Amino acid sequence: MSDEEKDEMVGYRQQPGKISFSRPGSGGKNSFSEPRDEKMIPESQGGEKKQPWGDHRHDNLITGRVVGKSTSLVDSNWKVTGRAKYGDDIRLPAELIGKIVRSPYHYARVLSIDLSEASKLPGVISIATGEDAKNKFGVLPVTKDEHAMAVDRVRHIGDLIACVAAEDEATALEAVRLIKIEYEILDSIHDMKDGLKDSEVPIHDRGEYHIGEANIQKRVFQEFGHIKSMKENSVASHKKNWFFNGVNHAATEPHAVVADWDPSGRLTLYTPQQVPHYVHRALADVLEIPMHQINVHRTFVGGGFGGKSDPFPHEMCASILARKSGRPVRITFDREEVYWINRGRHPSHIEMNLHADDEGRLCGIETDALIDGGAFASFGHVTTYYNGVLHTAPYEIGAFHYTGARVWTNKPASGAMRGHGAVNSRCAVEVGIDDISEQLQVDPISFRLANLLPPHSATITGFRVTSIGMRECLERVMKESGWKEKFRKMPLGHGIGIGCGFFISGSGLPIHWDPNKFPHATVHLKIDMDGGVTVHTGAADIGQGSDTVVAQSVAEVLGLPLDMIRIKSRETDTSPVDLGSYSSRVTFMNANAAISAAMEIRSDLLNATSEITKAPIEKLVIGDRRIFRKDEPAIGVSYLEALHKAQEDRGALVASGAYRTPPMGRAHKGAAAGLAPAYSFSAYVAEVKVDVETGQTKVEKVWAAHDCGKALNPLAVKGQIIGSCHMGMGQVLSEEMRYGRTGNLMNTDLLDYKIPSVHEMPHVTPIIVESNDPEGPFGAKEAGEGPLLPILPAVCNAVYDAIGVRTNELPITPDRLHKNIERKCRELKIDDPNDLPSPRLEHSKLQDTLEKRAKEHSIRDKERRLTSEIEPYHNGALFGMDPTIPPDEVDESWEVTVIPSEEYLENPRLAGSAWVHTERRKRGI
Amino acid sequence: MKMPPFKLYSPSSVDEAIQIAKSLQSKQEDFDWISGGTDLIPNYKWHLNPKKNVISLANISQLTELTETTIGGMVRLQDLAESEFTHPVLAKSANSIASIMIRRSGTVGGNICLDTRCYWYNQTEDWRETIDWCHKCDCGTGADCRVIPNQNTLCVATYQADLAPVLMCMEARVHLISTSGKREMNLIDFFELDGMKKNKLLPGELLTHITIPEEISTWSGDYQKLRQRESWDFPEAGVAALWKKKEGKLEKLRIATTGLESIPGYHEDLAMELVENWEGEESIKYLSEKIRKAVKPVPNTWYTPAYRRKMVKVLTKRACKGLLSE
Repeated sequence: MSDEEKDEMVGYRQQPGKISFSRPGSGGKNSFSEPRDEKMIPESQGGEKKQPWGDHRHDNLITGRVVGKSTSLVDSNWKVTGRAKYGDDIRLPAELIGKIVRSPYHYARVLSIDLSEASKLPGVISIATGEDAKNKFGVLPVTKDEHAMAVDRVRHIGDLIACVAAEDEATALEAVRLIKIEYEILDSIHDMKDGLKDSEVPIHDRGEYHIGEANIQKRVFQEFGHIKSMKENSVASHKKNWFFNGVNHAATEPHAVVADWDPSGRLTLYTPQQVPHYVHRALADVLEIPMHQINVHRTFVGGGFGGKSDPFPHEMCASILARKSGRPVRITFDREEVYWINRGRHPSHIEMNLHADDEGRLCGIETDALIDGGAFASFGHVTTYYNGVLHTAPYEIGAFHYTGARVWTNKPASGAMRGHGAVNSRCAVEVGIDDISEQLQVDPISFRLANLLPPHSATITGFRVTSIGMRECLERVMKESGWKEKFRKMPLGHGIGIGCGFFISGSGLPIHWDPNKFPHATVHLKIDMDGGVTVHTGAADIGQGSDTVVAQSVAEVLGLPLDMIRIKSRETDTSPVDLGSYSSRVTFMNANAAISAAMEIRSDLLNATSEITKAPIEKLVIGDRRIFRKDEPAIGVSYLEALHKAQEDRGALVASGAYRTPPMGRAHKGAAAGLAPAYSFSAYVAEVKVDVETGQTKVEKVWAAHDCGKALNPLAVKGQIIGSCHMGMGQVLSEEMRYGRTGNLMNTDLLDYKIPSVHEMPHVTPIIVESNDPEGPFGAKEAGEGPLLPILPAVCNAVYDAIGVRTNELPITPDRLHKNIERKCRELKIDDPNDLPSPRLEHSKLQDTLEKRAKEHSIRDKERRLTSEIEPYHNGALFGMDPTIPPDEVDESWEVTVIPSEEYLENPRLAGSAWVHTERRKRGI
Repeated sequence: MKMPPFKLYSPSSVDEAIQIAKSLQSKQEDFDWISGGTDLIPNYKWHLNPKKNVISLANISQLTELTETTIGGMVRLQDLAESEFTHPVLAKSANSIASIMIRRSGTVGGNICLDTRCYWYNQTEDWRETIDWCHKCDCGTGADCRVIPNQNTLCVATYQADLAPVLMCMEARVHLISTSGKREMNLIDFFELDGMKKNKLLPGELLTHITIPEEISTWSGDYQKLRQRESWDFPEAGVAALWKKKEGKLEKLRIATTGLESIPGYHEDLAMELVENWEGEESIKYLSEKIRKAVKPVPNTWYTPAYRRKMVKVLTKRACKGLLSE
């Protein structure tokens, strides 16, 4: 020990029961504590951090340690050194290789399966078919329509029929070839419009709830507000019929699973899952064993994006084969199998109508969305709602009409994908606003700024919106992109466009239980004598950094360095039940649960410190591994001293924290869909270059502002923004699941499924807006999905600014855009597309009205976010309604309708025509 | 994805390679040559006509010669793109192939002899089973062509390689060797209209090198390529133009296209017509339209045939732009 270190020990007396490492600041890689980072501590707590959006309930927990500081993810070293084990890296002794027999037909009845030759093949250990697992499963309890393997019918090319486990891959493949199957081919449905019609053999049978005899899986009808007068009041209307091709998540890691029944008779399933808990439930259903006999072990996940959030049939297959063979079974997908299991974004026909009145207000949005669900329900029930309800904000609107339908077709199932259900219709709305602004001769950003809902308001369908940073997002991108100098002013082929986004930060209702009874997220902490904190959480780190955010939350509250936090989030045996990584819920819910667990420990530590130092608890503050008197910092103890004191008589400290959403929303049917404890907002400006001769679009620059409430880890938030840009750019420019003449998916590989390369990637300037959400952990909201939404419309609008041509089909591949350019040239009687006129803007008088209103609203919003007594604000106030009362309670003409009228059914829109059918039970069948 | 097993031979000289080929042929065993493997290996993984034997050319240093007039079959595409000996137009086309990783492995010989491609063919075995196979890889079923059904005579898979059109304009000659000796021919004559046969290589024949006339170094030109992404993607259309001017007057022009049919197209007559009737921009426009009409793409790649034809017009115009400025 050096003299210097000895000096550190002065005043410290070795006592029985105290271990020698408990000197001030001990613990962590650096043994000495550092001064508190005053820049990170809010002014209300005596620090220097200004909080322009007001104080937060977690302010007193801020120790200035890690929150708000860019930090690499806690598991990044594992990944960059290649030590991280993904699904296919799991190797267990005596493992078998599983392969799946898949349907070569779109739709067929399976008449017989002959396993005789395959089972004779040396090296084949077990074979399973649909007979081995007849129970249905599905991610949503209300729509369980999947089997592990075909029972009776196969519903798309690649649907599972049987599976084989063998000593090696070659033998398994040979066995697959030797299985002989007889089929009766059925008429398959490929066009989603056909799914609306009655069919002889509907793809699924819903019994008495079946809608007509059609393939309609879910239909939604919603009317809110002044529906009847919206068209009368409008001076500008936009109408466009869109087609959005389906896209796939195309995560780097294909699905892979290992199932192992251990000698004690329990099943461990190793799988790169976003939602281990649902697999846990589904396995119990399908295998007919109690949940406590199953341990779902989440491996590292090589990208999820929603594509690994369903319980999957191949997970069942591996488990069934492992049970039959008594040996571990590994199944790894080829890329094309990833496309066959799909769950990507729905191909959609969307009709978007917008109406604006003479004051530049959005007096109506009418949306009709027909979405192609493929062969199974997956998350589709929710998707059908999301396509409508998630574009009722951030704008205040006078009326909202939505008809949505999801149909089954004989294609790989669509499901949840980053920006679930919101992406396509959001693109249609934002492009519509661009068009409406042009008709009104106003700047589209001014139009948006003058129509935003204020903080702490209710949307037209009754969502409770708390913090809103939309205005700041718009103002920042406008300034940083040089919008005013560029918009409608650039030469032909160069353009700039704006798009906004709005997304849920956690789904308001847990789908498996009553939110009033069980929490959404639970986190357990355990601290023993070494001082390290073991955190048990079921949140699935899928690369988005959920382990890091939970570690940060605990570290911040306890004043510890990140290396003292150990996250155990992999196994359902040890982690508390968690709903998993979807609907952008993890940061919001798990960090909140982690904070409340840490608060318990914190209280133990403060009590112990108070006992040692005799200082009153309210005078104590936590610094970096040291707890001391705020007014006399020399008086204090090290974290470990306090810890050991707190451990006296009880041993390791344990604590549990949980988060549940507050009661929210209204009472109409479907009111829960889209409810969230908070919402994120974003605005992007994209600058593009379009080659008018070839139709090729190059996105050159993107300014991307996202309101994530509070950036707990700015590095991770920026990463999510840039990553979302890339993913959204794929959907808007080149990615599509392309179905050929015969209904086959033509591009089941990464050469023909065109993800943008680094050459296509623009320079993205991420801009973080922090609206300090009152309920979010330290003010945070989501940043994983919302940032994807605005890039699509921003690019579409920029293309229009560049060449004056609007598209109505995504992706805007050069051939599609070129067709539109040719059409425009024909309309204008121009031979050479280089002579096309660039769109220009001359402001009308309305521009001043909008700017004035935006200014007033800006003042209103600032007041609303800082006052402690917030008056209610219901959507409709902009149209002269009383903001404090839900409009339908005072105005009879304000509709709240969820069933279509006879009159509507006489001339329904495309998806709306789903309501023409009557359910079987209502037909007496 | 599992490759079918094969036996790999690694000769270190051309003679040795030919000896191995000879002995395999005498045993009636079929084989493939492999150079960079960036085309063959994916095809093998997808069980596209795999062979039981593969002879690697990787260790044959004779085949890597690279001068202004000679390019060995085993010269890596990236080396070709970077070499000071490479004509700028050839370098441009080489540099546009796939991605840098593929260029570091892929070779000149491999690119020229690239297998033709088709949406119904470049798919996994399981996928192809769902369409009941196709003409180009029928797995013994005698399956029909899936692009243009009911014709069953000619494979219409598309030739999507970048070097050939430029080398054709250079009047490059290909040098071949087989058990029956050496031969050479103009690259222009090397290709065969059937997407299955592709070119004039006999069974067991090997492209050793190509030669380029010395005078080409004084020619100018351009290569223009159409594709979705600036990396990875095969050309959906490609146009090479090379010309020679004397005292400001256009003396010779050669035009070739790729990515549009089963073979690259060499448009000698159209180029000559332009030289004879040279009237500046109008002539280029006329030529571009003629080229558009001359090519017949089919729907088996990423873009539609109609779009590819329209674009070949644009690409021709752009490739010939230099004719105006010099």
